[in-house]
Amino acid sequence: MSVIRAQQIKKTYNPKTIPVHALRGVDLNIEKGEFTAIVGPSGSGKTTLLNIIGGLDRPSDGSIEVGGRDISALSDNQLIDFRKKYIGFVFQAYNLIPVFTAKENIEFVMLLQKKSKAERDARVSELLSAVGMTDKIDKRPSELSGGQQQRVAVARALASKPTFILADEPTANLDSKSTSDLLDIMAKLNQDENVTFVFSTHDQRVIDRARRVITLDDGVIISDNIIN
Amino acid sequence: MSAIVIGVAATVFIMAFIAGQMQSFIANTIKNEISHIQIHHPEYKVEYDVSLTMSDIEEKLSDISKLENIQAVTSKTIANGIISSAKASRGIMIAGIDPEEEKKLTQMNQNVIEGEYLSAEKRNPILIGKRLADKLKVGVRKKLVLRFQDKDGEIIDAAFRIVGIFQTSRNNFDEGTVFVRQPDLNKLLNIEDAAHKVAILLQDEKGIAQNKEKLQRLSPGLLVETYEEISPEVRLFKSQIDISAKFIMTIIMLALFFGIINTMLMAVLERYRELGMLMSVGMNKVRVFSMIVLETFLIGLISAPLGMLVGYIAIQLTAKNGIDLSAYSEGMSEFGMSSIVYPALSSNAYMQVAVAVLITTILASVYPAYKAIKLKPVEAIRKI
Repeated sequence: MSVIRAQQIKKTYNPKTIPVHALRGVDLNIEKGEFTAIVGPSGSGKTTLLNIIGGLDRPSDGSIEVGGRDISALSDNQLIDFRKKYIGFVFQAYNLIPVFTAKENIEFVMLLQKKSKAERDARVSELLSAVGMTDKIDKRPSELSGGQQQRVAVARALASKPTFILADEPTANLDSKSTSDLLDIMAKLNQDENVTFVFSTHDQRVIDRARRVITLDDGVIISDNIIN
Repeated sequence: MSAIVIGVAATVFIMAFIAGQMQSFIANTIKNEISHIQIHHPEYKVEYDVSLTMSDIEEKLSDISKLENIQAVTSKTIANGIISSAKASRGIMIAGIDPEEEKKLTQMNQNVIEGEYLSAEKRNPILIGKRLADKLKVGVRKKLVLRFQDKDGEIIDAAFRIVGIFQTSRNNFDEGTVFVRQPDLNKLLNIEDAAHKVAILLQDEKGIAQNKEKLQRLSPGLLVETYEEISPEVRLFKSQIDISAKFIMTIIMLALFFGIINTMLMAVLERYRELGMLMSVGMNKVRVFSMIVLETFLIGLISAPLGMLVGYIAIQLTAKNGIDLSAYSEGMSEFGMSSIVYPALSSNAYMQVAVAVLITTILASVYPAYKAIKLKPVEAIRKI
């Protein structure tokens, strides 16, 4: 079953002045439970593609369906609501709220969804356990290493039980050990809980662990390999 | 936050300073010059004719003193004339007073800086202001001649001897008024058991309207007026307190308004990525907008009482001994103001400042909140 179905996605920045064609017609299907890396050189369009899939940006042309719903036709507020329900984000710079503890950073996504306290507490414990951060529950981001912060960010992305997780260069700021730990966690979540992960990355360590590698260059997919 | 605290403290203190200055003027005017209520012959204030007196004055004073809320009551005889020394002459107002009763009413005896207050022993004693003494180039024990018209229009010349020189905070008063004993002046004016003015000082100013009503009933056919009716400048100064306070408050609130906008815009810019992340994970625009407004409002809610507390402390510290502005006392005396200002602010004014700050913070938060919801999450999350 396709979780993401993109057809002839095009994206042009500054169409009226100096047009920059970031995507030139991308067709893409991503199935439930995939562990997919979108790779390519800088400027190849991978972040743009990820943003469009995640409803953070709109395509200039083409259609994108997520969970069978055409998101290119949604209003700004509908897109926000859509992101809240269906997508978890992991950012390169973690983007945790500095004044919140690990628990609060994970919890506030569920607060937006108006989950009860009991539900939130149970989910936070479950997620912190899954990312191996139970003992850091009350730590603020400034008290955590980069790898630990990114693990909290993964837990936050999973808090709303999204349909899939988009991770933009999640290991770019991590050392080898932290990268390896994080990839282990994400791979386990993918296998045990069938969570769909889509990465954009340059990192060979991530590419090596992916089960599908889509290569973009100059705004078009030049290869799409399933790795057994 | 500190900007709001300082702004509010400054507003509170400046308002207290102005209120203190105005109140000192009003208190001085009431205490030294016009008292709370005055009674005149209804036409006296039109023509200032010495023949327009109130008769049976002793009985009237006795009846008035029996009323409630009366602290002191006395009568005055007034004549306009010319005062001459060997060196100069000036136009002045001659006030014939009962020295003992006047003490209770205006405490004029406390303003004597040279010589002594009017007493019963000496013949034709006179009390003149320091500025007038300087202009006439005279001192204590010197002789002066007063010239004025009596009740029948006859010109009277009378010699008086200076027993004391007084000084108040009002230059015009000091230069244009002299005091003699009422019986001396009445004899010269050829009037008996009569006066031009009855002045009444109340125990509590709040009862002024009721007292005026009772006095009017007690004095049919006479003109009974409160100090606000007698002195338009007091009325003006009273309204000025409010206007000045509101004017200053508006200016400071405007400064605060732009200060808050600037601060909150900076806060929004600093948290651009955080806000982008919040919108990415599903915080809608209404929530982001409310969050910025609420944050600003909370800053105001904490800063306003703190600022008022700082202002209150500053007022309390300066109110005890006053702020000495004697360097500018010459100019201030021209307007009847004391050279020492005792800042004072009503609780009502504190409330006004608090409400103004809270309204200002809410209004000032709208633009930064608008900027926050206009950001594009896709750009914001990548911002360094």
